[in-house]
Amino acid sequence: MRIIASRPPARSGEGTPPVPPSVQARFALALAGGKAAAAAARALRVGGGTSFPGVVARWIDPRVLQRAMAGSDARKVVVTGSNGKTTTCRMLAALAKAEGLRVTQNRSGSNLLQGVTSAAVRETDLRGRMDAQLLLLEVDEATVRLVAPEVRPDTLMVTNIFRDQLDRFGELYAMARGLEAVIETLPASATVVLNGDDPLVASLAQGASARRLYFGIRADGTGGQVPEHAADTVRCVRCQHPLAYRVVHLSHLGDYRCPECGNARPGLDVAVTAIRPSPEDGSEITVETPAGTFSLRVPLPGLHNVYNAAAALAGEIALSRPRPLEPAEARRALAGVRPAFGRLEAIRAGERQVVLAFVKNPTSYNATLREVLRRPGRKHVLAAHSNTVVDGEDFAWLWDVDIEQLVPQLASLVISGTRAEEVLLRFKYAGARPEITRVLPGRSAALDTALTGIPPGESLYIFAGYTPMRELRSGMQRRGWVQPAWAE
Amino acid sequence: MTAAPMTVRICYLYPRLLSVAGDRGNLFTLMQRCAWRGIRCSVTEADVGVVPDFTQCDLILLHGGQDREMTAAALDLAEKAGPLREAIEGDAAVLAVCAGYQLLGRYYAPAAGPRIAGLEVLDVITRAGPARFIGHVAAACDLGSGRQHSLTGFENHSGRTYLGSGARPLGQVLAGAGNNGEDGTEGARYREVYATYLHGPVLPKNPWFADHLLSRALAHRYTGVGPLAPLPDHAEAQAHAAALRLARRQAGRWRAAVAAVSQARRPSRASRG
Repeated sequence: MRIIASRPPARSGEGTPPVPPSVQARFALALAGGKAAAAAARALRVGGGTSFPGVVARWIDPRVLQRAMAGSDARKVVVTGSNGKTTTCRMLAALAKAEGLRVTQNRSGSNLLQGVTSAAVRETDLRGRMDAQLLLLEVDEATVRLVAPEVRPDTLMVTNIFRDQLDRFGELYAMARGLEAVIETLPASATVVLNGDDPLVASLAQGASARRLYFGIRADGTGGQVPEHAADTVRCVRCQHPLAYRVVHLSHLGDYRCPECGNARPGLDVAVTAIRPSPEDGSEITVETPAGTFSLRVPLPGLHNVYNAAAALAGEIALSRPRPLEPAEARRALAGVRPAFGRLEAIRAGERQVVLAFVKNPTSYNATLREVLRRPGRKHVLAAHSNTVVDGEDFAWLWDVDIEQLVPQLASLVISGTRAEEVLLRFKYAGARPEITRVLPGRSAALDTALTGIPPGESLYIFAGYTPMRELRSGMQRRGWVQPAWAE
Repeated sequence: MTAAPMTVRICYLYPRLLSVAGDRGNLFTLMQRCAWRGIRCSVTEADVGVVPDFTQCDLILLHGGQDREMTAAALDLAEKAGPLREAIEGDAAVLAVCAGYQLLGRYYAPAAGPRIAGLEVLDVITRAGPARFIGHVAAACDLGSGRQHSLTGFENHSGRTYLGSGARPLGQVLAGAGNNGEDGTEGARYREVYATYLHGPVLPKNPWFADHLLSRALAHRYTGVGPLAPLPDHAEAQAHAAALRLARRQAGRWRAAVAAVSQARRPSRASRG
C-alpha cells in the first residue's frame, strides 16, 4: 500500500509573486527563534517545550505556520473532536508508519494554535523545508477554525462531539457550526472523515465539495437502546424530534433514525461489524472497508477505542485511496499501539501499580470508569482537578459522571488539585464515606499519601484533569517510574 | 418520637432534554440531604409527552439546556402548563435553572426567528444577547427571612433576563453578570418558585438554599413541620467559600481588564475562547 505522491491540485491564492527576501528572512528568523525557545525550554527542564516555541515563532512572524505549511509537500491530516483525538492519531500514525511513511505529530494535548505551530517549527529546517511525508495534527475542536486556514488539511477527521468544557466552548451547536465553516473551505481534493454514529457529526459537510467518509459500528449486541443520561445529541439535528435508536453504543453514538423527518445514520464506509472483547484488555474486531474486510486487534480497552480504531482506518483509507490496505500489515501495526500517556496508562511504582486516567468530560470519565469497574477488587482512588486555562473553570460536569457506581468499590480516596473542594463535594454526595476520604490539594503530597495507604501489590487508580495529570505524571517521572511524555 | 417518616415528592422535569451542565446534582443533593435526615424522597421523572400529576408534587425541578432543547421543552411545556400553574399557585416549591428559568417567564426572544412563549409564571422576559456571560457568580440573597445568605455558582448564558414589576429578584449580584449584566439582579422568585442562572450545580455548594427548598416542600405537604435537623456541612462550606473566592477574584480581574482597556484604548485579548 502506497500513498499517492502527487500534491493535490494548487488552490486559489497560491502561485502568487515570488516571496521578497525580507519576508523569507523573517520566516527563517521565526523558525530559528522557535527552535531556540524549544532548546531553552528543554535545557531548563520546563516541560517538553510544547507551546512556548510556537508562541515565540508566531511573535517573530505571525504567518510562520502558514508559510511552513505552504512550503511542505507532506500530506496534512487534522484530527479534531471532543474525545479520542490523541488515540486516533496514534493509531493512524502506526498504520502510516507501517507503510514506511515518515510521520510527524504534534504532542498530545498541545493542540491549540501555539502547540501546532511548535510542531511545525520543530519539523521545518531553517530553509523552510519539512522532512515528514505525513503531518498528523491533533487540533482542539474550538481551535480548528483558526488552525485549518493556516494548515490547509488534505484530510479533516471529526471523531465525535460531546459536551466538553462547555464554559469554554459555549454550545455544542455553535461548535458544529464552526466545524462546518472549516469544512466548507476544503477543496474537492480533500477528504472529510466523519463519525457516522454521531448525529451531529454526521450532519456536517452535507454541502461540502470535499469527499466524505463515514465510520461507525454496525455490530449488534454491543449496546442498549436508550442513550445514557449524559448523552448530548439525542434530538434530530434537522427537525428537533427525539431520535429513535436501534442501538446505542456509547453515549449518543449509535444507529439512529428520526421517526419524524427520516434523517438517519448515513451508510458507513468503514463499519465495525463484530466486536469480541479480547483476553488481554482490548477487543478483536471485524471491519468492513472499501479496501476489504479486516480482522484487527484493538489493543486498548473499551468501545471508545473501537471507535478510535475505526476512525484511524478511515483516515488511512482517505490517505491511500488508490491502493487497498493489506490486512496483515494493518493488523500488526494496530496491535502495537500503546495507550497515550494518561489513558489508563499502567505505571509500576515500586511494589505497587499506578493506573493513570486522564478524564476531561462526562463521556471520557464514564467510559474510563466502566473499564476500571470491570477489573476485580476494591479500588484505591486519587481524584484531582484544577482550574486552569486548559482545564476550564466550570466543574459542574463532574455531576454527570457516574461516581455513584464507583463508590461501592472504593477502598480509599485521596482528593487533590486546586478544585479539590468541588471534587470532594461530588464524592460526598455520591456516598463516599468520610472515614476513607482524605483531601490533599498538593499533588505530590496526594500521590505520596495515596500510595503509602495501599498494600503492596495493589493498584492506585488516578482520575485527573489535564493539568493535575501532567503534574502527577511528572512526579512519577522524577522518581524514575515513567518516561517523560514528550520523549515517547 | 415522631410517627411515620415524612416523604418529599420531587418531580424532575425533562431529565434528558434539560440536563446540560451537571444540574442533576441538584436532585442528588436534595435526595441525600433527605436521606441523611431520615426523610423519604420519591422522584417522578417527566420527559416530553408525559404530564405528571402535579397535585402530588411538593418540589419541581426544571433545569437548563441548550437553545434547541429549550425550544423543544417550550413546546412540550405548553401541554403541562395548566396543572403546573395550578401547582405553583398551590405553593409547590420550584427550582428553575437557566433555560428552565427562562421558560417560566413571559417569553424568550432569540436573535432571529419568532419568540418562544413561556409559562408566564414569572413576570420576566428574556432576549438573546450578543455575547455569553460565562464565569463564576456570587449573589446576596434574602428570601424574606431577614437572614442574608450568599449564593454561589457558575453562569453560562447568552439570554438577558429583565424583571417586570410582578417579579422579585432572587438576589443581588456581588460578582458576575446575573440576569442581564446591567441591573445587578440575579434570578427571580414568585410564591415558592426560585429561578436562577446559576449552575455548578447550585444546590450542593449552597446547602442553605437546598434546605430552604426542602423546608418549603415539606410545608407544602405537612402542617406543623419544625426546622430541619442540622447536618455537618464542612465540605459544603469549603466548596462555597472556594466558589465565593473564585467569583470575587474573577470580578477583580474584570475590573482591572476594563480599566486597562479604557486607558490603553486598544482591544483587549480575551482570556478565554
